[in-house]
Amino acid sequence: MADSDGEYHAGDASDDEFSGAPGSQLETRSRSRADGPKKSGRKGGRAAWEDIQRSWDAVVEGADGTLAGTIEGLAEAEKRARLLKDTTPLQRGIIRHLVLVLDMSFAMTEKDLLPSRHELSMAYASEFVREYFEQNPISQLAVIGMRDGVAVRISDMSGNPTEHLEKIQEWVKQEPQGSPSLQNALEIHTPTHGTREVVIVYGALMSSDPGDIHDTIQSLIKDRIRVSIVGLAAQVAICEELCSKTNGGDNSSYSIALHEQHFRDLLLAVTTPPVTRTQEQSNASLLMMGFPSRTLAAGDSINYCACHNRPTREGYGCTRCGSRVCRLPAECPGCGLTLILSTHLARSYHHLFPLRNWVEVPWSEARRSKACCSCLAPFPDVPGGAKGKGKGKGKGKEKPDRLPLKGLSESGRYACEVCRSHFCIDCDLFAHEVLHNCPGCQSDTRGAQQNGDINGAMEIDP
Amino acid sequence: MNHIDASEHYDESAFTGQTPSLLTIIIDTNPRAWAALNDTLPISKAIANILVFVNAHLAFGNDNQVAVLAAHTNRAVWLYPKSPNPDSVAGPDSQDVEMTGVDGRPSHPELGTSANKYPQFAQIETSILTSLRSLIDNTTTFDLKPTTLISGALTIALSYIHKTSLAFEPSKTSKDPANPTTAPSATLAAPTLHARILVLSVSDSEPAQYIPTMNAVFAASHARIHLDTISLHGMPTFLQQAAFITGGTFLSAASNPRGLLSFLMFGFLADAEARRSLITPTQDSVDFRAACFCHRNVVDTGFVCSICLSIFCEVPENAECLTCGTKLALGSYGAKPAVIPRKKKKKKRINGINGREETGSATGTPVPA
Ligand SMILES: [Zn+2]
Ligand SMILES: [Zn+2]
Ligand SMILES: [Zn+2]
Ligand SMILES: [Zn+2]
Repeated sequence: MADSDGEYHAGDASDDEFSGAPGSQLETRSRSRADGPKKSGRKGGRAAWEDIQRSWDAVVEGADGTLAGTIEGLAEAEKRARLLKDTTPLQRGIIRHLVLVLDMSFAMTEKDLLPSRHELSMAYASEFVREYFEQNPISQLAVIGMRDGVAVRISDMSGNPTEHLEKIQEWVKQEPQGSPSLQNALEIHTPTHGTREVVIVYGALMSSDPGDIHDTIQSLIKDRIRVSIVGLAAQVAICEELCSKTNGGDNSSYSIALHEQHFRDLLLAVTTPPVTRTQEQSNASLLMMGFPSRTLAAGDSINYCACHNRPTREGYGCTRCGSRVCRLPAECPGCGLTLILSTHLARSYHHLFPLRNWVEVPWSEARRSKACCSCLAPFPDVPGGAKGKGKGKGKGKEKPDRLPLKGLSESGRYACEVCRSHFCIDCDLFAHEVLHNCPGCQSDTRGAQQNGDINGAMEIDP
Repeated sequence: MNHIDASEHYDESAFTGQTPSLLTIIIDTNPRAWAALNDTLPISKAIANILVFVNAHLAFGNDNQVAVLAAHTNRAVWLYPKSPNPDSVAGPDSQDVEMTGVDGRPSHPELGTSANKYPQFAQIETSILTSLRSLIDNTTTFDLKPTTLISGALTIALSYIHKTSLAFEPSKTSKDPANPTTAPSATLAAPTLHARILVLSVSDSEPAQYIPTMNAVFAASHARIHLDTISLHGMPTFLQQAAFITGGTFLSAASNPRGLLSFLMFGFLADAEARRSLITPTQDSVDFRAACFCHRNVVDTGFVCSICLSIFCEVPENAECLTCGTKLALGSYGAKPAVIPRKKKKKKRINGINGREETGSATGTPVPA
């Protein structure tokens, strides 16, 4: 089945598709991550199985005849390239309704991805759930499986990650079997509020459908449901059609995983909130929400929650009517107020105030700092004639036409343009990818005005 | 532990004996609050207690490390290790200020360097005391704000921990371009370094720092770093949430600040590994109120923009989100929201200001199942 012709397309497609189709959900992350081994190793079209990481192809001896600088440079440039993505703040439809469809058919027993397609997809599905709720805190998710020619409900639409994770866990040990049915899986109705998306992990090369899948595609288009597919084998025409038609002709949401890491990247890229399309902004509304505090029933007493009438000790009191609910998010059974953990909202605030990219510091300005402002790691000394440890430096100008080395700082320092503090590459990455705060701006407000957000954050003009 | 099966191979601790533990202490040095506490627990006493605690932590394992930061009114400063950068602690003119005998604050005669002291203890102690001294000496009355830069201290502490844990990472995954170390959850395997942050808090949470604080808290939770807080004074709402989110311990010693050392020793000395075998103090209530974006009020009920999730304490002017600028449809915010067909868009615009009246909320609130 997996003839080399199909694989050829596969490799090729995923390379092209990431080169910046606007509005693609997969865009930012997967492009930057997936580029890695390919950029360096690929010379023209090749079959996917040929396109393994040929890291040795990428190695070029440095001027001093050693490889260390090159390898280090590659890794660093790679890291930086991922950061140089556009940090323009985007309005994101963060209340998403997404259905994750997992192939659990015979095709998933294959072991071309280790330990097996099924085990890997289940593991990544769990990771997907975690990441999805981290990125889309008050969104809803449902998980569907395809096996025995039907769609099985793994978990229903809900906003509670733990529930999904538990349900997914129950299916890990089940052997995948039967044939998948795209049509059955797609005949799912999602609520009308927010973005509606379907993400399919598809290992098979066929689909056994009860009716005409083109009818299903038409109704998906009518309901403005977008479909993305991560294929595990070769490209399948119907999947391509499905993705392209439901995404307004843009087929970048269909991609084939080349290897385990690529699969993970492709799947997790979907968790990034998509750019909200203009017509969907008419759905924007101001919601009233309560942020109840967690309280324990006094002493040894036990309360009944208003939502399930079950006895519980811990609970959250509705901030408007005082009804106690046992878990969040919930709609208050008494007054209908949406109750959520404020921390779920806070989880997404780094999307609102993205940290501005830091700039490279030339040697001429490097003198101001001896060590990274946040982690105190010493910087290389400013060369005063003697070039010091040569390999770490100067690589920026030696091979400017290989790989995007332009992101690298010759002095190893990166500066926040707001607070002008200097940081090392590790802190740069950590601050932009995980922390979303500038340690310099946050730790010294002597210069800055107290109003607004002193975070090197972009200002958002209405 | 798993001596029989092969999984022993993956257990690094089987070889090194103990996973090193990095304790980062953030001392809230808000002068106003310490002045208020001066009768029960002067800051000198508190620092002495912390030093005992630090030494206890170091004595627990050979590889244990400590880092100490001060969260001051308008800056966060390294106390140990010292920052080699100029102008990090003090003004440009201050060289390392001698800690002997500068008066005005209680001095610490018995805590100086002594020949009978384990050198590492003495070194940390000297560093903390000198840095703290110069920090205090450089505080002018202009700096006496009621706030504390907890968010900054947390941010720096997390960067430091991140860097330190990179150094402890067994394989150099950063050399592999396809799998950068910073990829989320790539480093979640067996921890090679237990890190935790302890905040000694004496002031209220500053609503203006809500977002950066929360960013830091989620970064900590992502890296599985516990954020512990001992509160001596004030109500650090956000740190309470931080402890809840990261699985840390929140203790309030406000009723008895003198017992600081006992609180530290019994509540916070155990590291992440040891805590799994212990019953840690739990919070019976967690204050989950958030700070609104418009007036920096701490609110328990608010209005949330469905596009960007900004929180407002009241309906923003013209029903336009102050953060993202989206024109927002208003719902009826009474009891059970009635769903009315959407058609009154015009009306809302006219009565923009008192926009609380019923307008079609065709969209309705999202229904969490
Ligand atoms: Zn209620
Ligand atoms: Zn650094
Ligand atoms: Zn900055
Ligand atoms: Zn908004």
